[in-house]
Amino acid sequence: MIQIEQIDKYYGDHHVLKGVSLHVEAGEVVVIIGPSGSGKSTLLRCINYLEEIQEGTIQIEGKPIGLLHQAGKSVPMPQKDLNVMRSEVGMVFQNFNLFPHMNVIENVTMAPLTLRKMGKPDALAFAKELLKKVGLEEKAMAYPDNLSGGQKQRVAIARALAMKPKIMLFDEPTSALDPELVGEVLAVMKQLAKDGMTMVVVTHEMDFAREVADRVVVMDGGCLIEEGKPELIFSTPLQPRTKEFLRKVLTKEE
Amino acid sequence: MELNFLVLFEDGNFPYLLKGLWITVKMTLLSLLLSCLIGLFIGLGRMSKLNWLSGLCGLYLAWFRGTPLLVQLMILYYGLAIGLQIDLSASMAGVLGLGMYSGAYVSEIVRGAIQSIDRGQMEAGRSLGLSHWQTMFKVILPQAVRRMLPTLGNEFIALTKNSSLLSVITVEELMRAGNLIVADNFKYFEIYLGIAALYFVVNYSISLGIRVLERKMAVEGVRV
Repeated sequence: MIQIEQIDKYYGDHHVLKGVSLHVEAGEVVVIIGPSGSGKSTLLRCINYLEEIQEGTIQIEGKPIGLLHQAGKSVPMPQKDLNVMRSEVGMVFQNFNLFPHMNVIENVTMAPLTLRKMGKPDALAFAKELLKKVGLEEKAMAYPDNLSGGQKQRVAIARALAMKPKIMLFDEPTSALDPELVGEVLAVMKQLAKDGMTMVVVTHEMDFAREVADRVVVMDGGCLIEEGKPELIFSTPLQPRTKEFLRKVLTKEE
Repeated sequence: MELNFLVLFEDGNFPYLLKGLWITVKMTLLSLLLSCLIGLFIGLGRMSKLNWLSGLCGLYLAWFRGTPLLVQLMILYYGLAIGLQIDLSASMAGVLGLGMYSGAYVSEIVRGAIQSIDRGQMEAGRSLGLSHWQTMFKVILPQAVRRMLPTLGNEFIALTKNSSLLSVITVEELMRAGNLIVADNFKYFEIYLGIAALYFVVNYSISLGIRVLERKMAVEGVRV
């Protein structure tokens, strides 16, 4: 489903991603963990090309996204094609990024009404179905600023799902939430995973990783240092850096 | 010499002033329209990744902000006609002059408001598959317009006041109407005070109107 091969990314002189490769199968849930500044959010944002890369390839269902390699040269993809590919990859942000001037149902229906050949009744019906799925059908007419953080994030998930994406990317979806609101968002994500959605999740929620992930990927210093089944990573990590990181986050949790 | 404000209502002076006021309002509204179009275009252009476009828009801003409106009006009306045989009517030159001048200021208002919108809004739009411009028009600008309103109100008021300069290029607006009356009866104080009051009424109405508009556009619970 997603094939990342040897990508390099620089911010000026700063080498943020160093030859990272990652493959994600259809229906798989991959959780990326690692210390802050390790490049895990950047890697995630490369998948829908919100971040440009300088080297390597990213393919979604066999189609390259962002950087095309033609006759030995790397050229950026035309924006038009990029927009089409992005419409099939949903993204959920740490800070929700809901549209504050639209109510909940408008937030959810705006993109499909603009981009898909979908009539308004169909879009509304689908949006209501999605809001029901995230448990917010009664908030359809509310504005984002009147919702709690957990509710906002669930709307953001519904908004991304409205484009019927093949892949969902989650960029620290619970990091901006009060602790008591984290559960409701994770519950929605768990349901999504159960429904067979292909998901890549950057998170500090180790319990979620343990429970839901098919595979855990550990990043440090712009490299992918270890990956494997969650039970193996959490019980017998091979890399000392993984051990160190897990010791820090797990003691904090208790 | 004693003051006699009744002179405002004698010899058909008042209807004449009102006719001038109507032209002032008309000219201002037309210039405002032009100014908003120019402001939007120049403001967006200045943020373009295309260097030639942002450079060109920067040049526009520098020129029209850096030269006096009166001089610009003179160039447009007398300069073009005599130098290049481009003969604009007085009101055409007036609307163009005011609109282009004020457009420079509006472009800065537009740019400031757009740049004040959180970057995450553009990212969210793009992540859904919307193009840069689709996100701009559906997500960014509707939020930015709300933030522009108070400063845009200021600009609208400044425009009304600046329209008095059109009297110099023979547009028969309020100021010129006053000048003509004064040339006849020498009642400077009474007539100009009367004109000032009329300008004030217009501008005060504008500021009230903007306030109503702001309240109307404030969506429930949205903090801007």
